Amino acid sequence: METIHLENSRGRPKAPNPEQVELKFSDQAVQELEALLTHYPDKKSAILPTLWIAQREYGGYLPPEAIAEVAVRLQRSYAEIEGVATFYTMYHVGHPVGRHLIEVCTCLTCQVCGAYRIAERLKAKLGIDFGETTEDGVFTLEEVECLDACDRAPVLQVSDAYIGPVDEAEIDALIEKLRSDPGSGTIRLADEIVKAQLHANEQRDIR
Amino acid sequence: MASLAQEPGLVTITIDGTELQVPKGELVVESVKRLGREIPIFCYHPRMKPVGMCRMCLVEVGMKQPDGTVRMMPKPQAGCTLPASDNLVVITDSESVIADRRGVLEFLLINHPLDCPICDRGGECPLQNNTLFYGPSTTRYVEVKRHLPKAFPLSRHVTLDLERCIQCGRCVRFTEEISGDAQLAFLFRGAAMTPRTFELTDLDSKFSGNVIEICPVGALTSSDYRFRARPWDLETRPSTCLECANGCSVWFDHRGGKMVRINGRVNDAVNEEWTCDKGKFGHGYLNAPDRPAKPLIRKEDVLAAADWSTAYQQIVAHFEDGRTAVAGLVGAKVSNEDLFQFKRMFHRHFHSPNLDHRWTRILPSQTEGVRGLHGIDEVHTRIAEWESVNAALVVGNDLASDQPMVYLRLRKAWQRHGAKVVVISERPTYADHFASAVIRCEEGKLFEAVARLSAAVLQNREGADALRAALKPFAPDAKDRAAAEALKGEFFTVCSESVYAKPDGGKTVSALANLAVGTDNAQRFNLYPVGANDMGAALLGVHPGGQGMNTREILEGCIQGRIKSLWLLECDPFALWHDHQQVQDALENVEFLVVQTSAPNQAMQYASVVLPCCAHVEADGTYTNIERRVQKIEAIWRPKGDAKPSWKLFTELMLRMNPSRPIFEPSELMEMIIAEDESFAPAAYHNLEGNGACLPLGVDAGAQLFMEIYQ
Repeated sequence: METIHLENSRGRPKAPNPEQVELKFSDQAVQELEALLTHYPDKKSAILPTLWIAQREYGGYLPPEAIAEVAVRLQRSYAEIEGVATFYTMYHVGHPVGRHLIEVCTCLTCQVCGAYRIAERLKAKLGIDFGETTEDGVFTLEEVECLDACDRAPVLQVSDAYIGPVDEAEIDALIEKLRSDPGSGTIRLADEIVKAQLHANEQRDIR
Repeated sequence: MASLAQEPGLVTITIDGTELQVPKGELVVESVKRLGREIPIFCYHPRMKPVGMCRMCLVEVGMKQPDGTVRMMPKPQAGCTLPASDNLVVITDSESVIADRRGVLEFLLINHPLDCPICDRGGECPLQNNTLFYGPSTTRYVEVKRHLPKAFPLSRHVTLDLERCIQCGRCVRFTEEISGDAQLAFLFRGAAMTPRTFELTDLDSKFSGNVIEICPVGALTSSDYRFRARPWDLETRPSTCLECANGCSVWFDHRGGKMVRINGRVNDAVNEEWTCDKGKFGHGYLNAPDRPAKPLIRKEDVLAAADWSTAYQQIVAHFEDGRTAVAGLVGAKVSNEDLFQFKRMFHRHFHSPNLDHRWTRILPSQTEGVRGLHGIDEVHTRIAEWESVNAALVVGNDLASDQPMVYLRLRKAWQRHGAKVVVISERPTYADHFASAVIRCEEGKLFEAVARLSAAVLQNREGADALRAALKPFAPDAKDRAAAEALKGEFFTVCSESVYAKPDGGKTVSALANLAVGTDNAQRFNLYPVGANDMGAALLGVHPGGQGMNTREILEGCIQGRIKSLWLLECDPFALWHDHQQVQDALENVEFLVVQTSAPNQAMQYASVVLPCCAHVEADGTYTNIERRVQKIEAIWRPKGDAKPSWKLFTELMLRMNPSRPIFEPSELMEMIIAEDESFAPAAYHNLEGNGACLPLGVDAGAQLFMEIYQ
């Protein structure tokens, strides 16, 4: 858990005035948000997909300004949006993540199939521990619970793709391939989720 | 709770073998109280929606079958989220319920630090009590407990002890459901879940103090009260808060002659059980070390302690039969009895009509106020009625600052049944977030905004052609027309007298009254006072009347030498009057200045005589709040030093000037008030037990329009 520091309450900053919050969503994001809002009875229901839009717009993570912008656009309180965002592990609140997020499943099946060996190899190769980002800002390594892909154990989730079963020998090649990819997998993942949300209605109609 | 209102009717349920009828949809946790039994709770609060987070209220539940047998549910249910329905069977004292409660408490206590000996809540803690009655006597948890920040200041007033939090969510729900600012939320999840503000910004809610009271453990504590006392060392007495004119009921906790803390006291007619921060944390002045304790008389530029008779002698010499050369100004925290006796003294012995209790920039005379120009009463709506309004127009300063309890009720009306609220203000207000329309005008343009909205409202209505014609110059824009949609039917108007502090305040009030009269909503018009007993002062006639001088004229009179002697009763003009220079000139120039005060103030520097008087907690007296509810405050501790209740002081002075039968009790003064003004009849002292008594509201003389303001 993140530690909070004791300090003098008199020096505590005030929450920003909603009218002063800088709105940075691109025109496309604003259009997407408007389309999303038609899916729900009220703005509160749209918090999760809007956070995905914000995560894409703010470069793969949610700085406080992103939380504030979502709160202002949905007319909810800042604390409520921050509470929702910190509840879910796929929103990266506060701290930036690398272009590529490598998540190692260490649940039972993957563990039996050697997930820790894979994890150690990744740590050694990237020089970081779980929850850390490489200095060049390319990779973030995370340990996650079951990815629901036990048939492919041991499995990695690399941003928007599942890779598995992996063995140690493939790691080097994977890292090199990702390093040469100039795009950001984390932003791509957010974008795909936003697109899926936008088309959620159509899929229901087809069924 | 919501289903209760929708479907009236009773259902028969069985609790621990006793059959009883309860309203359909009533929560089981409430029904059980009807039998004098209790289900232990943490997260449930009767004034908030149930969430079933803590699982402390688990009960066994079954349904009575047509053949008379009972079919029990396989698992226990949370009593706080279970609505009563026909044939429900509830068991609250079986072996398994007792075991469930013990289990829940054992889990809650796993991470609770048990630092009760140093915890502010110790002695009045629901967790402590429930553990004593329902919990295990020892723990099986031997591992290391979680360690988190122990004293994290969320704001100047609220300190968070994260280790003690049992994650019931009462504080989070309070800011979301009741106060509406939603400044607290749960961050993270599981064992790491913490109630916090956004990015640890300041918890600057106007109602933040309530989260301290509703916290069922010592996680949220008052920064001021922290480590000051144990609850069993305190003397707790009922009292009424005088920080604004709402007159909330409070518990006043004191120890060794010092005010220690204020807690909300249940009064469904006024404050339910809430307090605002101004009331909860604003009573520190009672503990000020330099409160005047003896009469002081100026001798060669120094105020020196004196005895009462010398002070009286000087006062009588300067005031008796002073006629128009003497004047009196009054503050807000003066009881009805004191005000009445002050007025009698001025009228009968000083023969002076120069009295005023108002400090706003605009001081409407008898013929200029709402009553004078429009023939309607200033107040028509009681505080509790606000929670059932369907449409309201809120004008002026922030309603949550001026009338916190009206704000909470209005918000409840919006939350319960979607009341439509239109806000017209110069600055952002608390009510904006639930208002269906907000009209934000420039500083000093309040009158124009009200006039434009009036024009838009009248476009939707028949009649009031004269007013419509007078409003021609004010063309409503799209925003005004959208706001007017909310005011199509009956609507309530609320504005506070603080609007008179604005240059266009008088015109704004008049325009609002015109709108109310023109749309047949005069019976729903309200112009509430702001100072604690401003309403009492207005009703008792502590104002210039027809011939006297008002506050401005008195201050000018002091500067010009027309006023020789001035009496300041419980007021500091430097804090109240907008023009400091004028106050300074007035107090420097007036020949004889009496400052009668319970707390040290700036005006004392200029005083000829300083008279110590009792604060409201030191003397019996009654106070009239915005809904004309007269509430009695009883003396809680002895006066400081030689201080006297003001009415007693006035009585003694009057006896010096004209020996007659003395007055011994404030109740005698109330009888005299009633004899003079029949509308005070409900406020006889024997009627004031409990929540006080209400004087009549909405005494209208015949509503009329006043068009000249639009020219």
